[in-house]
Amino acid sequence: MQPTRILQGMRYRKLRLTTKDVNKGYYKGTGTGSMGRHTKYGTYVIEWEKVRTYVVPPLEGFKLTPFVANTIQRVYGQYETKAGPRDPELYLQNWKVQNGMD
Amino acid sequence: MASPAAIRPSLGAALHSCRTASITHGLLPSSRAGISTTASLLKRHKYPGARDNKDHSKHRGESTIRRTGTRWRLSVSDEPLPKPIKPEDLAPPETDPNHGLWEFFANRDTVANVPEEDAKHGRGWMVEELRGKSWEDLHKLWWVCVKERNRIATAKYERNKSKLGFGDAEADKRDDEVKVTMRGIKHVLTERQYAWEDAVKLAENDPEIDLSGNGPAFSPSQFLEEEYEEPVAAETEEGAVKEAIMDGEQSLKSSEPAGLATPPPPEPKPQSEAPRL
Repeated sequence: MQPTRILQGMRYRKLRLTTKDVNKGYYKGTGTGSMGRHTKYGTYVIEWEKVRTYVVPPLEGFKLTPFVANTIQRVYGQYETKAGPRDPELYLQNWKVQNGMD
Repeated sequence: MASPAAIRPSLGAALHSCRTASITHGLLPSSRAGISTTASLLKRHKYPGARDNKDHSKHRGESTIRRTGTRWRLSVSDEPLPKPIKPEDLAPPETDPNHGLWEFFANRDTVANVPEEDAKHGRGWMVEELRGKSWEDLHKLWWVCVKERNRIATAKYERNKSKLGFGDAEADKRDDEVKVTMRGIKHVLTERQYAWEDAVKLAENDPEIDLSGNGPAFSPSQFLEEEYEEPVAAETEEGAVKEAIMDGEQSLKSSEPAGLATPPPPEPKPQSEAPRL
């Protein structure tokens, strides 16, 4: 018995893993995720909380682009604590100063 | 008279049959008048198992080349056939000028931008630049990035499909910058979420903040009107610098209060409005 030409020519591990390379129970999928579940009767039930929903805001009049002009200098934030922008005290302080009226 | 055998044998046989036929005709004069060309009388094969005389080819005589048509009438036989029109004379097909699929292309005229056009882009947004943006702005910017990436991918596909030539390198660089922006948006939102979670815990022990939901959430212990303006200026100090720099993009001043308006929710209801990831 000889391996196929493709296996002779290249290393086996360089091939893409398929369901035939591993033992049973391996589910490769397509990376899309499930939208429901299988029932014991063989049917499929769509679970709407699993179905993807995309909330796209209205973009009319929105002027920002994915790019910033190259002429604009990078800005580095100045933070007093080590936590930096993640500091909850800073967050609370900002809230008190700007939004405490709520 | 030459004997029949002296002539060609086949001709001799024919002459012989003629003679015998004249004899039989003389013997049976009644059958002489019965020569007919109708089908029933022309049937010769009468023995059992003989071929029937039917025409088994239903489409005999039909020809596409001679345009005979079918042997039977069709329901559309009387309909006049439409005549072909030149494509130039046809009216252009009606399309929706505002169809959503147009957003997959950079413009209406070409399927893919030329590489020079693709290379005209700046850098992606830095995280520090995005920190001042509100949830709404970040949400919209995310979808602007998604559409840009869709456009790039469509152009790349078309370039490959139609073999338009070079341009992938420029498109990839452009795509990388969009990815920088999208990564920054995720970074900022994650950071904001964690900071908010910890800030809620801090607020529970803050005497100025009431998380019960009855009455005002924030009752400041000090009312200093003069100093009230100063912390705002101090807080937006960094923002003011950015604002001055990024004047052309969008003023930070408008977005910054909104950005801090959404997240901090002492009551349970705004908690759900907090930055979702």
